[in-house]
Amino acid sequence: MAFPRRSPLHDAHVAAGARLVLFGGWEMPLSYPTGTVVEHLACRRSAACFDVSHLGTVRVEGPDAWDRLQRSLSNDLRRIAPGHAQYSHLLGDDGSVVDDVIVWWTADDSFDVMPNASNTVPVRQALGGDDITAGRAVIAVQGPEARSLLGGVAPDLAAVPRFGVRQAMWQRVPVTVAGTGYTGEDGVEIAVPAEAAGSLWSAVVGAGVVPAGLGARDTLRLEAGLPLYGHELGPGITPVQAGLSWVVGWDKPELRGRDVLVAERRDGPRRRLRGIVAGRRPLRDGAAVSAGGVTIGHCTSGSFSPVLGRGIALAYLDSTAAAGAATTGLPVVVDLRGTPVDATTVPLPFVAGSPAR
Amino acid sequence: MVGGRARGTGVRVPLAFTGVQVPEELHYTAEHEWVAPSGQTVRVGITDYAQDALGDVVYVDLPAVGVEVAAGGVLGEVESTKSVSEIYAPVAGTVVAVNEALSTAPEQVNGDPYGSGWLCELAPAEPDALQSLLDAAAYRRLVDS
Repeated sequence: MAFPRRSPLHDAHVAAGARLVLFGGWEMPLSYPTGTVVEHLACRRSAACFDVSHLGTVRVEGPDAWDRLQRSLSNDLRRIAPGHAQYSHLLGDDGSVVDDVIVWWTADDSFDVMPNASNTVPVRQALGGDDITAGRAVIAVQGPEARSLLGGVAPDLAAVPRFGVRQAMWQRVPVTVAGTGYTGEDGVEIAVPAEAAGSLWSAVVGAGVVPAGLGARDTLRLEAGLPLYGHELGPGITPVQAGLSWVVGWDKPELRGRDVLVAERRDGPRRRLRGIVAGRRPLRDGAAVSAGGVTIGHCTSGSFSPVLGRGIALAYLDSTAAAGAATTGLPVVVDLRGTPVDATTVPLPFVAGSPAR
Repeated sequence: MVGGRARGTGVRVPLAFTGVQVPEELHYTAEHEWVAPSGQTVRVGITDYAQDALGDVVYVDLPAVGVEVAAGGVLGEVESTKSVSEIYAPVAGTVVAVNEALSTAPEQVNGDPYGSGWLCELAPAEPDALQSLLDAAAYRRLVDS
């Protein structure tokens, strides 16, 4: 696609003074004049709203919809029921994560599957269904006060429980609401038809929810220890290595990459995803991690944790070094552009979010 | 400073940027540093335009006092959550002071780039080194273009 795609909320972001960035073929807010750190802390302490319209929506409907998803995705739909959401992976034959998705089971024979922006095409090829991305916006409202503030303007939307999926009305327009998100906080995500997106966004912001951009979304998911496709997930990386074995439906009759995954679970993966905390200096994607002078892995995401005030990173570390007691408290050295920085492995998440209600 | 080595989603600076402060009395570089003469030394920082383009500064790596730098040599790094930008020496000289307060309050680079957000002070090797730098009008044209 020659031109970047734009959200139905694009004009509202420009009017708010957002700094825009290209992400997955979309032009989206990186931050607002408030800045990434303030937006991040608003989400941890109060509530923030994110335009996540760049996530795709593939609608899979019909009597065979359940079978198609159950066959193609890693997680087991028998664990949930209509009206619930489930995190899942699209796997390759080698057990690699082709994409990570959220499945909204909206009605008996209808699913809305949300891949990453750049992966909508492969996910649609695998599942079939219709790409309905262009007709709607998706607004995430997240944080310990997300439900109470949203409830002031849209009580039905705010009442959707954690991992629940409901149809509701916003100003006589039907919306789909799920108790999901990717910040580590409680909250909801709302899929709203494009023509009603602006009024909902304005109402949410008017209720005191702080607009936040992709910059804060990234530092929030990193603090929460949540993987991002292209960093912690992708070709050559399995759910077992990522510490996401719970995303695999081990008892399913049909599971792509099963032999690889079963063997890896039995023998232990050769590398595991770990959290690393340093001093104040931000850690960075791609930085080599060593222990005792030997390189044991690389950072896949790194930044500064506004809550901890310290540099943090997710890194894949060799299992020999990362296993057992060394899971946490292993002294490591991160190579930041030639400067060695002392750091320590820690359990994930780096920061525990608000409890789900 | 240059538009940093952005990781992942990079900062894109709007072409027509308005409203940034460019104090008349300072000297500037095309890499968005400012220089303020003060007796035998000069104070160095990054411009309002630069701090805005960079976003929230969360870490500043400063040189050690006593280090000698060539004009255009790397003085240090300014880091936001997303990116790392090198700071270049506007003139050749010796580092005589650094702003230690930035180690615990790097956000001062955003909040007061020409004041409490200064980075370091140099003793220039050449007495007339500042003549090669941009004046406020020339720097304003650079960021307005």
